Amino acid sequence: MDKKVAVYICQGCDIGSSLDVEALSTVATDECDAALCRDHECLCGEAGRELITQDIEGGANAVVVAGCSPRFMPDAFAFEGCQVERVNLREHVVWSHEPNDEDTQMLAADYLRMGIVRAQKAELPEPFEEEIDKTILVVGGGVTGMEAAVNAAGAGYDVVLVEKEAELGGWSAKFAKTFPHRSPYRDPQPIPVADRITEVEGHDRITVHTGTTIEGISGQPGQFDVSLRSNGTTTACRAGAIVQATGWKPYDASRLDHLGYGRCPNVITNVQMEELIALGEIKRPSDGKAARRIAFVQCAGSRDQEHLPYCSGVCCRVSIKQALLAREFDAESEAYVLYKDIRSPGQYEDFYRRAQEDTGIFFTKANVVGVEESGDHNLLVEAEDTLLGGKIQVEADLVVLATGMVPVAADGEGLRRYADAKAVVEKGEAGGQLDAAKQTVEDLAHLEGTAILNLDYRQGPDLPGFKYDFPDSHFICFPYETRRTGIYAAGCVRAPNDSQASREDGAGAALKAIQSVDLLSRGAAVHPRWGDTSYPEFFLQRCTQCKRCTEECPFGTLNEDVKGTPQPNPTRCRRCGICMGACPERIISFKDYSVEIVSSMIKSVEIPDEFEEKPRLLGLLCENDAYPALDTAGLKRIQHSAYIRFIPVRCLGSVNIVWVADALSRGFDGILLIGCKSGDDYQCHFIRGSELMGTRSDNIREKLKQLALEEERVRLEQLPITDWDKLPQIINEFAEEIEEIGMNPFKGF
Amino acid sequence: MTESLLLKPDRKFVESIVTSGGGDLKKCFQCATCSVVCELSTSRTPFPRKEMAWAQWGLKDKLFADPDIWRCYQCNDCSTKCPRGARPGDVLAAVREQAVKHYAVPHFLGVWVNQIKRLPLLILIPVILLAVALVARPTLEQAFAFGPPHGFYAEMVPHWLLIGLFTFFTGLAFLGAVVGVMRFWRAMAKADLLADQSDNMVGFVPSVMRTVQSIFSHAKFGKCGTEAPRRWAHILAFYGFLALFATTVWAVIDMYINPRFFGIDSMYPFGMMHPIKILANVGAVLLIVGCYRAIRDRIRRQAEDGGSTSFDWIFVWLLLAVGVTGAVTEILRLIAEPTGAAVPLYTAYSVYFVHLVLVFGLLVYLPYSKFAHIVYRTTALVYAERSGRTREVRLLEAGAATSMRVAESGGQTVNSD
Repeated sequence: MDKKVAVYICQGCDIGSSLDVEALSTVATDECDAALCRDHECLCGEAGRELITQDIEGGANAVVVAGCSPRFMPDAFAFEGCQVERVNLREHVVWSHEPNDEDTQMLAADYLRMGIVRAQKAELPEPFEEEIDKTILVVGGGVTGMEAAVNAAGAGYDVVLVEKEAELGGWSAKFAKTFPHRSPYRDPQPIPVADRITEVEGHDRITVHTGTTIEGISGQPGQFDVSLRSNGTTTACRAGAIVQATGWKPYDASRLDHLGYGRCPNVITNVQMEELIALGEIKRPSDGKAARRIAFVQCAGSRDQEHLPYCSGVCCRVSIKQALLAREFDAESEAYVLYKDIRSPGQYEDFYRRAQEDTGIFFTKANVVGVEESGDHNLLVEAEDTLLGGKIQVEADLVVLATGMVPVAADGEGLRRYADAKAVVEKGEAGGQLDAAKQTVEDLAHLEGTAILNLDYRQGPDLPGFKYDFPDSHFICFPYETRRTGIYAAGCVRAPNDSQASREDGAGAALKAIQSVDLLSRGAAVHPRWGDTSYPEFFLQRCTQCKRCTEECPFGTLNEDVKGTPQPNPTRCRRCGICMGACPERIISFKDYSVEIVSSMIKSVEIPDEFEEKPRLLGLLCENDAYPALDTAGLKRIQHSAYIRFIPVRCLGSVNIVWVADALSRGFDGILLIGCKSGDDYQCHFIRGSELMGTRSDNIREKLKQLALEEERVRLEQLPITDWDKLPQIINEFAEEIEEIGMNPFKGF
Repeated sequence: MTESLLLKPDRKFVESIVTSGGGDLKKCFQCATCSVVCELSTSRTPFPRKEMAWAQWGLKDKLFADPDIWRCYQCNDCSTKCPRGARPGDVLAAVREQAVKHYAVPHFLGVWVNQIKRLPLLILIPVILLAVALVARPTLEQAFAFGPPHGFYAEMVPHWLLIGLFTFFTGLAFLGAVVGVMRFWRAMAKADLLADQSDNMVGFVPSVMRTVQSIFSHAKFGKCGTEAPRRWAHILAFYGFLALFATTVWAVIDMYINPRFFGIDSMYPFGMMHPIKILANVGAVLLIVGCYRAIRDRIRRQAEDGGSTSFDWIFVWLLLAVGVTGAVTEILRLIAEPTGAAVPLYTAYSVYFVHLVLVFGLLVYLPYSKFAHIVYRTTALVYAERSGRTREVRLLEAGAATSMRVAESGGQTVNSD
């Protein structure tokens, strides 16, 4: 399609008074071959928009709007069927640089050149449209799963609910009472789970499969082919999105030998205590006698680096509930609660107060160091760091260990490593690789048979575990999201929750799943590139099967054939472009974002010669955090060096090394790459973008060495969006450093 | 490393604290706000948080061996600052009541004296004793030559009879108190030994001197923030009682010691302008005013938080009653003596009898009532001085004063360590 590029320069918001707009027009039309260039005092207004609409009707099919940041007025500059490029002359030029200055004018001209080149090279994305199934598969029939099912079904979506146990209800169906969820938050209350089960089982849109496991899930969101296994028979169904609500299991108390579990018959877990409570009386396992002195050891294995480093958030309230119920059963009994901190958030403080009122329930802060038997299977609990003064011992008939919650999730990536290693061992190839593989098989043998979703994904059959093995994407902006598009974690598999919070999770995840299938049906991406209809295309004739793209994709988008050629699954994709950054053959591109487009933009920048003493720096900015941070700095009129030219990138992980090479050989003096925070508490919207860039920068250093250039010419920075005020300083310091190093000797070649 | 303490959680004790004024004890969640506001709290003794923790578990042995519970004057700064409304100040008062009962010899008196239902019996005992004494009077008078009675009321009950009777029973009570105090002292010393905190000892005499000085100045009371008005009530009652006690002792000396051993004629009964009489009358006024103020403040507080128990009420009303009946006795003598008529005479005698019964109650029941704080608090204060507990506070105060001076002079505060 022939491009007819129309350029519009807005004069509003100080742009007209700070720049020579006429000179910019000349750049657009004479130098960059734009079909036309107009300016207007307020482009986003009615008249301005009218100007553009008329030109589009007159045949313009690509529009370049030079004005404010693309983060502002997106609706004003959206024209159906017409490609629109925004050039940020406001925040990044006139509000952050000296007005009517030679360097500012050069900066604006370069941004305009880059924008026009982009408009010329990019194409309007065509959505990937295939038949999308909107059925929602809910895995797990506990409170969370049932809530997700009821909510999704209530919103008009078909639901397939799979539960591996014979009955629905999960833990909640096994427990007699829970702590109160409503005012006055004083007494344990029954769990209304039976009603929910009836509702789920009777719902027209919900198909319940109990006693069923998942044999396999292939395909991609909107087109998942699910095979279910129940009593030796396999049934197939199709689903569009998945809610994983597989819940929790108690922490393995047999690892808590120091607390007497396994050693002393009268040391039990809080889950076992629930079983006793369900029977209506608290009897000692050793002799069946009534337990009159019950010691609760809080944080048994929780908030402990050796065991579970986290707080499960419910154990304190569970123990308080159990103490109250035990006292209700037997007024002569006493409960001793030994805690690190009582965590009873919000209104649950009243529940804690309720237990405190009872003179038969004793609380003390303590770090329990051991539990020993003292004859007749009685127990002696030893604790230190109490406020009672020094070490203490408490005698008890029964000790309840308040163990924490462990997610019922499979380690998808571990399972993949295990499968790969097993394959190597089976092949039996000689060499060091074989020994390493044998070791891996041994180390990961415990994962055998743990798979839950059995996804046919190259990167593993289950969700990748993250912090503490919870498969949540672990980023506060995206609740329920996981690192697999269209699969959402909810309830205790996502994070330790009480049943109330689990229900909220179930509803939330159902909405996420609905949002996902609806967007898919329009060929659009889910969060964070919400609504993006572009998707990566592979020029497979040139693929060398290096597998970098299949390995590096954070979302498991790509499968491989036997040779290792990537097999795209567009609806699994979140359009970050990490595969594009990874590909050494540069065969992966989006219609509106490609190696070629960005390279052309880099090359469009005018590089003054060495003697003008005007260095040129290239900045590749992550558009999620760093770009808005620079906008904010501009809004606050914080000035930065006029020698740098920024290009927004979808993710730092999408930066292809060739851009760096292109920039350096073109004569740029330095390159600044700014991405999101990586590490354990990463803020990267695509999980590992800046981390990957970190590893790729080793290759960059290599490249610099080949070119006999200083390493300092390329700098990688990580910037949380909240540090916007530091960004101009980072830019200026980098500019100063490059000036000290001197000009790039490749200028003018 | 100290030995582990085997907890013996005692629900009964917890309930006794809860029912004797420490009803909010269980609300404590051990945040230590109380210890932050309390000036008695030191780096080694987070007071009263540790007492609250002990009390919540019913660790009475720990509490009864703790001098700090008596060093508290219940200023209730902790109670007003407590974020959970656990009212540690009131809990400590309840613990002190339990401590008095615990150390009482004989034990049953400790229980009886503070029970409203035992009140008639407790009144009946001195009534019977006095009655028996009056019946026995002629016999005794024949056996011993006590000389003529000293004045108006002595016609009814001669002083020798009163002195004999009161000295005997007060002496018994005193012995009980001595045993209680000794047990208390030993318990405190043992607890410190176990806790490895028996170093840092101060001499006994300086400890007593400091304690006496502190009691007479009411300096600690002066630091009570929330309940500052109580200082004046206590000062008045304290000095009033002291004056009356001293003049009573002097009267005994005047009547029986001076004539017999020093050949000085008894000046009893003293004229209204006699210095001793003036002192006694001033003492009576102070006592009555002090008690009145105490009761008034208690009633006011009762409306706010209901902190007073029968332990508190019985004592303060008794003290007021002693003061008032004493004053009325004196006034009635002034009316009845000149007339010699029967009605005023028997009215005066009746009131006098009531006064004697009340004085008996006050003195003989002293070690078992709230009045016992005289002995236990004094003992605890001496022990606290002797065991070096007060040192940190004194150093802190001195340090604060020094640094304030340094600050005023514009210099930098230097840590003296």
